[in-house]
Amino acid sequence: MSAGTQVHANLTEEQVREISGDLDEPDWLTETRLEALAALEELDMPDVIRTPGRDWTNLHDLDFESLVDPLNAAEDKDQVGPEEAEVLSWSDAVQEHEDLLKEHFGSIVDPQENYLTALSTALFSTGTVIYVPEGVDAEDVAIRTEQNSRSLFNYTLVVTEESSSVTILERQSTGAEQDEQYYSGIVEVAAGENSYVQYGSLQNLSEEAYNFTVKRGVTDTYATIDWIEGNLGTQLTKTEVSTELRGESSETQIVGAFYGHNDQHFDLDAKVWHRAEHTTADLVTRGVTDDIARSVYEGVQDVGSDAWDTSSYQRENTLMLSDESEADASPKLIINNHDTEASHSATVGQIDQEDLFYMTSRGVDPRAARNMLVEGFFVPVLEEVDVDELRDDLTELIGARLRQRD
Amino acid sequence: MSSDQDHLQETDTEARFEFKKEENSAVRSGKGLTEEVIRMISDDKDEPDWMLERRLRALEQYHNMPMPSDWPGMPDLSELDVEEIIPYIRPDVDKREGVDDWTELPDEIQDTFDKLGIPEAEKNALSGVGAQYESEVVYQNMQEQWEEKGVIFCNMDEAVREHPELVKEHFMTTCVPPSDNKFAALHGAVWSGGSFVYVPEDVTVEMPVQAYFRMNSEGMGQFEHTLIIAEEGSEVHYIEGCSAPKYGTHNLHSGGVEVFVGEDAHVQYSTVQNWSKNTFNLNTKRAICEENGTMEWVSGSMGSKVTMLYPCTILKGRGATDTHITIALAGEGQDIDTGAKVYHNAPETSSTIESKSISKDGGRTNYRGLVHIADGAEGSSTAVECDALMFDNESTSDTMPYMEIEESKVDVAHEATVGKIGDEDIFYLQSRGLDDDDAKKMIVAGFIEPITEELPIEYAVELNRLIELEMEGSLG
Repeated sequence: MSAGTQVHANLTEEQVREISGDLDEPDWLTETRLEALAALEELDMPDVIRTPGRDWTNLHDLDFESLVDPLNAAEDKDQVGPEEAEVLSWSDAVQEHEDLLKEHFGSIVDPQENYLTALSTALFSTGTVIYVPEGVDAEDVAIRTEQNSRSLFNYTLVVTEESSSVTILERQSTGAEQDEQYYSGIVEVAAGENSYVQYGSLQNLSEEAYNFTVKRGVTDTYATIDWIEGNLGTQLTKTEVSTELRGESSETQIVGAFYGHNDQHFDLDAKVWHRAEHTTADLVTRGVTDDIARSVYEGVQDVGSDAWDTSSYQRENTLMLSDESEADASPKLIINNHDTEASHSATVGQIDQEDLFYMTSRGVDPRAARNMLVEGFFVPVLEEVDVDELRDDLTELIGARLRQRD
Repeated sequence: MSSDQDHLQETDTEARFEFKKEENSAVRSGKGLTEEVIRMISDDKDEPDWMLERRLRALEQYHNMPMPSDWPGMPDLSELDVEEIIPYIRPDVDKREGVDDWTELPDEIQDTFDKLGIPEAEKNALSGVGAQYESEVVYQNMQEQWEEKGVIFCNMDEAVREHPELVKEHFMTTCVPPSDNKFAALHGAVWSGGSFVYVPEDVTVEMPVQAYFRMNSEGMGQFEHTLIIAEEGSEVHYIEGCSAPKYGTHNLHSGGVEVFVGEDAHVQYSTVQNWSKNTFNLNTKRAICEENGTMEWVSGSMGSKVTMLYPCTILKGRGATDTHITIALAGEGQDIDTGAKVYHNAPETSSTIESKSISKDGGRTNYRGLVHIADGAEGSSTAVECDALMFDNESTSDTMPYMEIEESKVDVAHEATVGKIGDEDIFYLQSRGLDDDDAKKMIVAGFIEPITEELPIEYAVELNRLIELEMEGSLG
């Protein structure tokens, strides 16, 4: 049984051909899109955690039929970067770098992995391709997307050649609001030998929006991919941030921060697959739930049988500011090589009453004390963020959200 | 320890654990699960109608329920053919109510239990033994002082006849209803034997209560039911030990355990499971804990082909406490998927889960656990710690905890580590004159100490011996 929404019943090959035609795409890309469209019939929704009697996230109730409006996508986008790297819009990349796309498009995130990846592949109309040549250090690549339509499907590809590095900061927000909106994004990162990619993203879409995002990277030998992900917006977010450590001695870090309030629901996955010798992974996520918000976290550290000498660590901490909120967590270890040092930990709790008492006894107003403690809670995560701009933005947004409280 | 001594000990221990008796059955039900089979079992036991009705209802539920599926990393149950299982075999014992004296048992059964060490346990002044050979408890021994205090310890079949009100109220009603899962339904239909323990208000049973189970007929299942009722302020420690010889066909063990922990009561339930390597061990064990009650699960899982077992505690009353201590050891061809489930449904409840696992020679262990803190369970706390040790690169060690936290005034912590046995530790011990094998044994013994120290001495010794044998790969 595929997705219950049956949105694909209303989607046609003509629509997909029109999107592909407008972008002047080569035939093989059009074919890939059409195959994804045809596969919708058979595909299931992304996996969600199920425990006895409960699904942690329900994607089947989303009314995709009314959310998906493939031919009326509208956005305001900036994509800028230093001269030595190429930062191209999707349509430019199709013209200038077809070989690069042919090599990498759909190679990291299988377009037919699930219903929503296929939907995104069939319908995406915008995106960014970042190409960093050998030995180039590219700082300050920025992508800003403002959604101005019912639905927006976005695709991003990052390719770094040997011994290059790049720092990317991506932001999503909502311009023209509608009652409900759908943002879908797929990000593929191919980190070449000894290259370094830092990919930060800040999702601050309207609280009427739904968001589905998969960001996945593959590392070559000695490569590093560091992900930073901040989630503040939407009413429902389902994301995966993941790295396949395919090259020897490659590394990854996944840093996450979220702050859910009102009735927001965040379903956040962080995953790493160790597939070569001497690889290292560090997963750090911290988040707050307030009002009746709910956070769902799944972290997977998967060590393959060839991954000798693996180091893999995962920490997840949730702070509950309201009694009515809920925090669910499932950190998983799947270990098939004994030459491994792996650990994970997860905690859930509220602000330490003793800390609060200490501060109020020193004359700090209780509200200010609470806000300081929440801001302090995020410090270990913020410290991992190298990009000043992203760190400052996150700090400011968290502060603003705290001050919104009564 | 010299290798000669080693060898002697091994031979002896192997003889204790690995032997197989000619089957000698008075009544044997047909293969497969039909209403006739269920009626035959019930009839043979002279059961009241209400129990037959419950069995038939459970059978219906069993047929209507799906096999568990789409669990991440779920063990392979494809080789399990429930229709090939023989649900019921009653040994040929003249007395239907069990016997009062050891010597009244048939020689063959006595011999079986001799090898399992039950007479030694007697000598050790343990308080009572209910020994299950195949599907029926055939030997019961109760100390007079218990009876005076109103403690009941008997086999489950007897309890149905002698204590119908207690059984009616507690048997597969609120604790483990047949609707819980497919194998609980199966169990509800074909259950046979097991122990019934009732401890009245404010009575403390100082000595552990024990029961041994054995499967000794090819292709037969074992579906014993254990029901423990501990009234307000009482205290009891129940020990279940299992060990089965090796067979060529697949066996199914699908037991059910229900524990009712009254207000301020304290129950400990300990298991050492060592089913043969072709057994599918699919159990449902659950406790309901009233105000300020304490439930402790201690389990060692060493045997079986596949184990899926997640002892569950429902902390129903304010201030109730739960402790899980589990150890799993998986060798070649084994998939031990076990853990714990705890539901915090009242304020100020606390739980502690300590899980240790060892995988070697291509075996797989998985910790699968769920902690649920319900909205309103203020001041609750839970701490989960999983440690896994891996011996080689063919083995697998997984950890899959789930935490559902609906209440903010809580303290929740989960941590897990996985690693190989430390080269440095082994080097240190070798430099002190131990050989490689002895060094590894010693490290494992230290690793599982938190479990063994919870068990009475003879169990701890048995568990340690089993693990030693397992590490040498000399136990089928």
